[in-house]
Amino acid sequence: MRAWKAVLLIDLALIIGVGWGYAFWGLREGRLERELAEARAAAASGIERQWRVEGVVRAIFPELGVIVLTHGEIPGYMPAMTMGFRVASPKIHEAVSVGDAVRFTLQGVLPNVAVTTIEKIK
Amino acid sequence: MAIRYTDRVYALGLAARWLHLASSVLLVGAAAMIVIAGRSDRATALHWERRVLASAWGWALAALASGLVVIGAQTALFEGRAGAAFEPRAIERVLLETQAGHVWLVRAGFLAILAAFLSLRVSVERRADWRAARGEAVLLGVAALLPLAAAGHAAAVEPDTARAIASDGLHVLAAGIWVGGLLPLALLLKTAATEAGADARPYAVLAARRFSRAALVMIVLLAATGTVLAIIHVGSVAGLVGTSYGRLLLSKLALLALALAFAALNRSVLLGRLGGDGPTVGRPAMRRLSSFVVVEAILALAILIIVAAMNVTPPARHEPPVWPFTIRLSFAALEGRADEATRALIGSQIAVVGLVALITGLAMRAWRLPLAAVALAALGAGVGLALPPLTIDAYPTTYLRPSVPYQAGAIAAGAVLYQTNCAGCHGPRGAGDGPDGRGLPRPPADLRAPHTAQHTAGDLFWWISHGIPESGMPGFVSRLGEEQCWELINYLRALSAGYAARGMGPTIERDRRWLVAPDFTFSVGPTPPHALKDYRGRNVLVVLYALPGARARMSQLAQREGTLAMLGVEVIAVPINADPDAIRRLGPDPRVMFPVVTEGAETIVAAYRLFAVAPHVELLVDRQGYVRAITRGTGEATDIDALVAQIQQLNAEKIAAEAAPEEHVH
Repeated sequence: MRAWKAVLLIDLALIIGVGWGYAFWGLREGRLERELAEARAAAASGIERQWRVEGVVRAIFPELGVIVLTHGEIPGYMPAMTMGFRVASPKIHEAVSVGDAVRFTLQGVLPNVAVTTIEKIK
Repeated sequence: MAIRYTDRVYALGLAARWLHLASSVLLVGAAAMIVIAGRSDRATALHWERRVLASAWGWALAALASGLVVIGAQTALFEGRAGAAFEPRAIERVLLETQAGHVWLVRAGFLAILAAFLSLRVSVERRADWRAARGEAVLLGVAALLPLAAAGHAAAVEPDTARAIASDGLHVLAAGIWVGGLLPLALLLKTAATEAGADARPYAVLAARRFSRAALVMIVLLAATGTVLAIIHVGSVAGLVGTSYGRLLLSKLALLALALAFAALNRSVLLGRLGGDGPTVGRPAMRRLSSFVVVEAILALAILIIVAAMNVTPPARHEPPVWPFTIRLSFAALEGRADEATRALIGSQIAVVGLVALITGLAMRAWRLPLAAVALAALGAGVGLALPPLTIDAYPTTYLRPSVPYQAGAIAAGAVLYQTNCAGCHGPRGAGDGPDGRGLPRPPADLRAPHTAQHTAGDLFWWISHGIPESGMPGFVSRLGEEQCWELINYLRALSAGYAARGMGPTIERDRRWLVAPDFTFSVGPTPPHALKDYRGRNVLVVLYALPGARARMSQLAQREGTLAMLGVEVIAVPINADPDAIRRLGPDPRVMFPVVTEGAETIVAAYRLFAVAPHVELLVDRQGYVRAITRGTGEATDIDALVAQIQQLNAEKIAAEAAPEEHVH
């Protein structure tokens, strides 16, 4: 066999080998990413979830049924911030006042969540 | 003499790394040299080509074998015990789960293919076959060499990893073609200089000329990529002279200069004498060039020893530099000394004239010597005149970077240390007016003075730990630990900055950023702590307030928070009298939505009170973390539109590309 043909064959084999390895790797990564996204979507949709979070009461809007809380991270939903949450019943916000450090339960199907329990800590 | 076990392992690892690097480099160079020299049908040239190919095959096997030792040493390093180098499971883990292992596998694969390819007996009678076979050898050699860059220090560079890896790859490649080509060239010249090799003499002359041209290009490439890599890994003069990595680089450069001197001699003198026949040209010149090229190659291989050592030494950028000189040069020395500045300016002008004259002298034929002498004299005089005013005393720790960041907590801790250790002589407020300082040989320094800008944090570290004997200042190395020294230095930095901040008022000065806002952490109730740094990219209004005096202003800020938020301003309210119940005290009406610090207020107040003392203080911090305006008041409601106007000005500024405040050390 002529040397240039042999070289061509070797190069082709190398290109195919490296390309196949790269494609295999890429495909596997793509599959993993898809699975992760599916798992996330399954976790997020249609299923009722519940969190226990700590925070501080910053404001109460009784007429709207909303309580504003500075809270820690709500895993899988939102990072730490100050924002308003719906309360499940008026009784809930009557038990606390502005400045109270609290532990509260957030419950519901995203994005329709509401504070279902709240108690002062310390 | 007893050698410690770890030293022996280190030496073995280094030797293996060197052998691996050298054989990988020689392999590429040998393959490339054949292509550079070109094809010939002379018997001696063909014989040489076969020998070089055989040597390339040998280098490939040597690279594979030494690579095994290197990966064993790597495994021992990763596992933290020498025994792991012989455990198949541990080696498998390194190969399959680390980037260094992946790179090793790829390279070993290419080396094995290359070795197999070189042992194939293929006919290269025809030109196309010769080109394909020799080109393939170069290609496989380069493919085996280049990934080295992805397993070295360059792979750990952040950001711009790709640029570092590319520079490193080009650097090894250029080194390979230059260094690796030397030995085959010497062999060819030596053979051609003999009686029996006379038929290859024209081929040898041509090959030497072609290689010389290629090597010149490679050396330029080496210099360019080497500069980029030095900036990435060393980055400063202190790193170059003050760390082991930097000193290895310096010794590498010294050897390189020697090798290049030989290369220049070979190129300028001997290369031109290869043709013809006579007592100094032709064969004698060929023999001499051959031995000089061997010397060049030995020097280059010695450089690779240093490179192997650099590969296992942490880059200078990540090491604390130890400054080896008692002085340093800085333009800061000229601040406020106009006559000295003039002197430096005149000196530098004379030096430039001298330099230009020197270059002219070298370029001219006539008058070369006298002109060069005058030029050198002018250069020396200029440098002698310009440098002394620029010198500042320096200490081993001068370029040490603070190991404790510039944060409110460190400043507050430093303030306590200051009052117990320093206030006696330097005075309670740092003015140098303490009662114990009166009898000292030199009056204690006024620590508020702007001259602290002339000194690095490392200078202060040296004085605090070792004292200043001639002035009567004692060293505190036995009383304060390293961390406490840095806390104290952070306090001094804040003190001096705060003294300068007396003049800062409620209006911002456009594009003038100088007062770094010390970072702080705070918590609101039971929520996890936040840092001021988290707000980088937004403006922050830090409000130091006290009730009941500031109730009016706090209500106003609470009502206008929406406006401020829309302008990109976050308000952080810090009660001057730290209070875990601060939110409740502000009450439900009006609704306060911005963070009110319930934990961490003491340290924030201790640090920021160095910048402004008033019943109510508001500090406007810009998007890059600099304090830009300070309002001192009593807490009455004031015109919020004035504040809005300042914020709009801040937002209109372009964000400068300068370093973030933490990296800016004085």
